[in-house]
Amino acid sequence: MDLLSFLLVQCLNALSQAALLFFLGVGLTLIFGIMRIVNFAHGTFYMLGAFLGYSAVRVTGSFWAGLVLGPLVAGGIGAAFEMGLLRRLYKRDDSAFLMVTFGLTLVLGEIIRLVWGVDALQVQVPDSLSGIVFLLDEPFPVYRLFLVAAGAIVAVGIWQFLERTRLGLLIRATSQNAEMVHALGVDVNLVRSGIFGIGCGLAALGGVLAAPLLSASLGMAGNAIIDAFVIVIIGGMGSFPGSLLAAILVAFVQVFGTYYFPDFAMAAMYLLMLLVLVVRPGGLLGKEA
Amino acid sequence: MALLELDGLTKRYGGVTAVNDVTMRVEAGEVRAVIGPNGAGKTSLFHLITGVVPATSGEVRFDGRVLSGLSSYQRCQAGLSRTFQLTSLFPEMTARENCRVAAQARLPRRWQPWGGTTVFGEASARGDEALERLGLSAVAGRPAGLLSHGDQRLLEVAMALSQRPRVLLLDEPTQGLSVEETLTAVDTLAGLFAGGGLTVLLVEHDMEVVFRLASKITVMHRGSVIADDVPSVVKDDAAVQAAYLGGYA
Amino acid sequence: MRIFVCVALLLAMAPLGLPLFAMTLLTEALILGLLAMSLDLMVGYTRLISFGHAAAYGLGAYASGYLLLHTSLPLPFAVLAASVLAGVVAIGVAWVCTLAKGVSFSMLTLAFAQLLYAVAFKWTSVTGASDGLAGIPRTAGPFGVTVFQTKNGYYYFVLVCLLGAYLFCRSLVASPFGAVLRGIRENEAKTLSLGYNTRLYKIAVVAVSFALGGLAGALYSPFAGFANTELVFWLFSGQVLIMVIVGGQGTLIGPILGAAFFMLLEHVLSQYTESWALFFGLIFIGFVMFAPQGIWGLLTRRARA
Repeated sequence: MDLLSFLLVQCLNALSQAALLFFLGVGLTLIFGIMRIVNFAHGTFYMLGAFLGYSAVRVTGSFWAGLVLGPLVAGGIGAAFEMGLLRRLYKRDDSAFLMVTFGLTLVLGEIIRLVWGVDALQVQVPDSLSGIVFLLDEPFPVYRLFLVAAGAIVAVGIWQFLERTRLGLLIRATSQNAEMVHALGVDVNLVRSGIFGIGCGLAALGGVLAAPLLSASLGMAGNAIIDAFVIVIIGGMGSFPGSLLAAILVAFVQVFGTYYFPDFAMAAMYLLMLLVLVVRPGGLLGKEA
Repeated sequence: MALLELDGLTKRYGGVTAVNDVTMRVEAGEVRAVIGPNGAGKTSLFHLITGVVPATSGEVRFDGRVLSGLSSYQRCQAGLSRTFQLTSLFPEMTARENCRVAAQARLPRRWQPWGGTTVFGEASARGDEALERLGLSAVAGRPAGLLSHGDQRLLEVAMALSQRPRVLLLDEPTQGLSVEETLTAVDTLAGLFAGGGLTVLLVEHDMEVVFRLASKITVMHRGSVIADDVPSVVKDDAAVQAAYLGGYA
Repeated sequence: MRIFVCVALLLAMAPLGLPLFAMTLLTEALILGLLAMSLDLMVGYTRLISFGHAAAYGLGAYASGYLLLHTSLPLPFAVLAASVLAGVVAIGVAWVCTLAKGVSFSMLTLAFAQLLYAVAFKWTSVTGASDGLAGIPRTAGPFGVTVFQTKNGYYYFVLVCLLGAYLFCRSLVASPFGAVLRGIRENEAKTLSLGYNTRLYKIAVVAVSFALGGLAGALYSPFAGFANTELVFWLFSGQVLIMVIVGGQGTLIGPILGAAFFMLLEHVLSQYTESWALFFGLIFIGFVMFAPQGIWGLLTRRARA
């Protein structure tokens, strides 16, 4: 394998890894940026997506059905949770949100265990995306290319949604001045529930997409929430471009680092996070100085 | 040598110059008011003096000592106590406890992890004295969060006073007060300053308040100092009138 | 103070009246109570919400287990050394975590606990990886004292540690240092502007909290005879946090009650269903939403969220 093809393969590897990390981080940062809630259950929704993806394939035979079903169900549960419980906590301080969403983590996690059992479940890569392609004479899994594409599509999609659509504008306005938006006749509560639902849905989308690579297991949630949070810390809490940048940065450091030091992956993330905290406590693209 | 000296103090945020080459001398015992329209840079100036925000250039000298490297809590330890524009207290503690914590910060064994009779005793004494001078002894036992807005503003001043500061920096002490509350507050503050022994730097909007309390006035406009003298002179300064005072003659 | 003496005496007489299995439960409850109380110093008194307190427990458990297995250190010294180790490690951890505030601080504590979990898994030579350390002996005490090697003797050792720690914490929170913690809890920005180096105080309280949590862990591994990675698992950290909140944060006693309540509930529920985690989650949510003062707060009618 010559240098060029090696670099190409590793870069694509990193990009596919970045896509997964991005899906994890973006939902968390959106919810925080707009509602100032840290959704501790974020990792559990990610796990839910993976299991739902598994079931969708089992029941309908279609991976694509899972891609739609997972986020919808997770989003629905998230929105319902916000409406039912979180809404009452806006007057209290931030730690209440953290703890209630932690409670949700336990409850939801246990429900998942009851429904799907304790074993890790394999999810098949759909036929249309299985197999390998040859890039510069090196084999590369099609699915990973798909992940890179999916990541790019979702990133652009969210960006356009926030910048160009009316709902996106409402969301951005609500994050800056909810009272004003309310005075303009918009049901702010509905916007908030919607955002929380979208955040959870994005987490689940990440889970569905990750499942063929990682398989769906109960241990996913714990790692996921930490990964998500590290991305958000590095990128800046509440910054959408920040989470994208952080995902790419972490993925590249991990992929190229692991090549030289096998156990480097986790350490790489923590070291990067430490560096950012010391140099720019608000995150790379965060709002604080 | 003045107690507090500012030399060419400047703060730029990107393209905006919040504080522009401010030079000022505050003598011990003075009550100096810093006034100016909104956005003149008064609170930014306070942030620079107390170290909340680092200066782009220029120097702050306190009692001959350059403060540049010191963080905000270190400057407070050096003798600069301040209040804030937006009321910031310990809402669940009583007024007395608020002042006690404030006083404790300047005592040598404030960090002591056992006992505390001596520390608390001395801190309470200083705190109670400050409450007395601000006329708040009657409400000393009430939780700070339940005090009237006017009393809360005065409690903040009492807390700063409990620290026995060399310089007291008050950021808009009458902010948000009703006309009545303002009158009471100004009376109290006037009595406090008349007692002497205090060096005060006061940011204010309200011109009536300023003329009653200040011995010298510094006027700021768009980050720069445009006048710096005794009240009677400043009142008649054309530039000041143009920028700010409007109809005050 | 009188209540304290009464309770202490009551607990001291327990071995006389309770059957063996109840004594085992009680000993474990006291150990968990110590762990929960140590977390209360951070959560209830300084509003530093930690999702990583299992790290303190695990550190203490592994350290004392290792010392007891590989050295001939008397048990009390091994326990003490482990506790000190946890406190020292905490200084480094706290130094990093206090670079952030609020929610970010909380998630950093989680990240650190996960790091420790990974280390426990990988450092096979010291920690035995996923198998953990087994067969941890209760070595003879100094001067050939063997009282700790009996069930009741060990119970008294644990009881003394808990009571001592309680008195220490009580004194700490009533001291000038404790007053600063309270300031940080109610309004950190103001405390800083009054001239306190708040970061140092936070690091200090985390170190003390970890040292006491480490003490609990150090007491656990000789008690159970083993130490494994489950002790450092993040879900366990969450359970300790639940004990503190449900028991009543900021009271020292509340968390001890919370630990006992939690243990009792787990014991009872696990006989009927495997899903006791579900009920814990629901109970926790219920308390956070509707009774934030916790059980002890409800009992003493103190309204503190």
